[in-house]
Amino acid sequence: MSRVIFWSTVTFCTAFLALPLLLVWPLAFNTSSFLTYPLEGLTLDWFHQVLTQPTWVNAFLNSLKVAVGAMALALVIGGLAATGVILVPRALQVVLTGLFVSPLIVPSVVVGVAFAYAFGRAGIGGGYFSLVLAHAVLGAPLVFLSVLTSLRGLDPNLDLAGASMGASRSFRFRTVTLPLALPGFAAGALFAFITSFDEVVVALFLADPGSTTLPIALFAGLRDRLQPSIVVVAVLLSLMSLLFLALLRRLQMRVAAPKS
Amino acid sequence: MSFIEITQVSKHYGAFQALHDVTLSIPKGEFVTLLGPSGSGKTTLLKVLAGFEPVSSGGVLLEGRDITRVPPEKRNFGLVFQGYALFPHMTVEDNIAYPLRVRRRPRGEIAERVGALLKLVQLDRFAGRKPHELSGGQQQRVALARALVFKPDLLLLDEPMSALDKKLRHDLQEELRAIHRTLGTTFINVTHDQEEAMHMSDRIAVMNQGRVEQFDTAHALYRRPVSRFVAEFVGKSNIFAGRIDRGGGGQLFSGPGFTMPVPDCAQGEALALLRPEDVEIAGQAPMDGRIALPVTVTSSTYSGDRALYTLSPPTGAPILAYGSARSGVHPDGAALFAIFAPENAIVLD
Ligand SMILES: Nc1ncnc2c1ncn2[C@@H]1O[C@H](COP(=O)(O)OP(=O)(O)O)[C@@H](O)[C@H]1O
Ligand SMILES: [Mg+2]
Repeated sequence: MSRVIFWSTVTFCTAFLALPLLLVWPLAFNTSSFLTYPLEGLTLDWFHQVLTQPTWVNAFLNSLKVAVGAMALALVIGGLAATGVILVPRALQVVLTGLFVSPLIVPSVVVGVAFAYAFGRAGIGGGYFSLVLAHAVLGAPLVFLSVLTSLRGLDPNLDLAGASMGASRSFRFRTVTLPLALPGFAAGALFAFITSFDEVVVALFLADPGSTTLPIALFAGLRDRLQPSIVVVAVLLSLMSLLFLALLRRLQMRVAAPKS
Repeated sequence: MSFIEITQVSKHYGAFQALHDVTLSIPKGEFVTLLGPSGSGKTTLLKVLAGFEPVSSGGVLLEGRDITRVPPEKRNFGLVFQGYALFPHMTVEDNIAYPLRVRRRPRGEIAERVGALLKLVQLDRFAGRKPHELSGGQQQRVALARALVFKPDLLLLDEPMSALDKKLRHDLQEELRAIHRTLGTTFINVTHDQEEAMHMSDRIAVMNQGRVEQFDTAHALYRRPVSRFVAEFVGKSNIFAGRIDRGGGGQLFSGPGFTMPVPDCAQGEALALLRPEDVEIAGQAPMDGRIALPVTVTSSTYSGDRALYTLSPPTGAPILAYGSARSGVHPDGAALFAIFAPENAIVLD
């Protein structure tokens, strides 16, 4: 009986999550320029169009630039925050953790308005720089949490052992803590990258025509002309997500492995 | 003056006091063991020695120099952790080389020292392995090599054998003892296993509830324990509750069912200790001034060379006694005499 419940729940949830995606994907290969079933025939023309059209290619490159920049910055901010927080007393850790995680909790619209206003006042509104900055703030908590988790998982005696052998704090950090927490840094970096890559709300507030990101282009395309090329972009984005998911999975296995 | 002087060290964790006025002086080159039940403060004392825990009061001297506030990385003490704390991302070789890399020794010297230590702990063939590819005993030896490679002034070991099975434990005890003899470094070992402590140590500090009850050789702890706790923790024991009174020609101890002369000591309530090997078992009571108590056998454990009997006397606690098992073991329920000489009894305060 419990097996029946288990499998029916699993099936229902999977269908609920995956069906909309599965239904939309085939439309990327449809010869018709309307997003409707039944399919009229199969073609790769829409893929060709997306990969050659400057709008899409530029948007993709913009997104890539912003995401890489945001990831790097988030890695520094979140990584430093986590390695610092682990050293302070317990009570302070709780307060600081709350503070560093807060960008995750504040609604994106609020963050978007706040950044647009603040950057405008500071004279750095619009363009890459503001996008990278804003996305780094959104990504930093993810890096922070991921690194903090992997640091917490380390045996505290390893650091004590290093100290007993005469190693200074910075030497221990470089040779023991950092290498062992590396999977945490990598996972955090991936999270930050994905977050930036498909972030649309804050980007809408900050992007100027020259720095249109892929989600914004997708959004605009959805309103202008509903074409299979949008679905093509969606398929490509999904494939990228799957790739990242697989990467994360491998990283998590590496985090778990050294403990045995 | 001793090599290490621990003077009146107390350690509080909030309201809880983990160490009470611990005073120990440890001569150079000795193998000293801190022995005590779980929670008695052994690890805490070791952490104080290593510099990981600040003392609440008291101090530690190394060759007359106050090191109480010297940080661990400046102490030059080797440390073997309870769980070994090997670096999981480094090979055996790199683990052992770590303290030398810290000290920026030349490459050639590092290779030479690491090679020598690998040989000492018999792990030459495993130099390239990662810790998780080693057995528990091998990991323990890597930890030992890593703690010794930089020629520390003092080696601290926190229950290094506790994760190993009995046979392996015995071999490693021998090995550790041999290494101690070879190097001549001062060792401070922690264990809750009294057999391990007795096998390996020059001297043993018996700890109980944050206090050192007695610091002495294994023989002295066994034959002249200063408290009931030490008597019961080190070896098997029979303890008779009674009182000491002045009698004809000397002091007399009156225990459950017997009276015996004892040397001069305070009168009043007292405990007398008798080790099981000092109790003889026979079918008849001898007529030579020894004490003979009528007993019945409640149980026995046979171990080939001898048998350990639990005997119940008419009054008082059961008595443990070793008996020869060459011609068989007395059956349960057998009526016998437990015989002992008064001079083998030890009066505890
Ligand atoms: N960091 C700590 N905070 C509070 N209490 C502690 C701490 N470390 C040890 N204790 C307490 O001190 C006592 C002695 O601990 P420990 O030295 O680890 O004992 P042992 O090593 O002899 O088993 C225990 O009761 C333990 O609960
Ligand atoms: Mg302990």
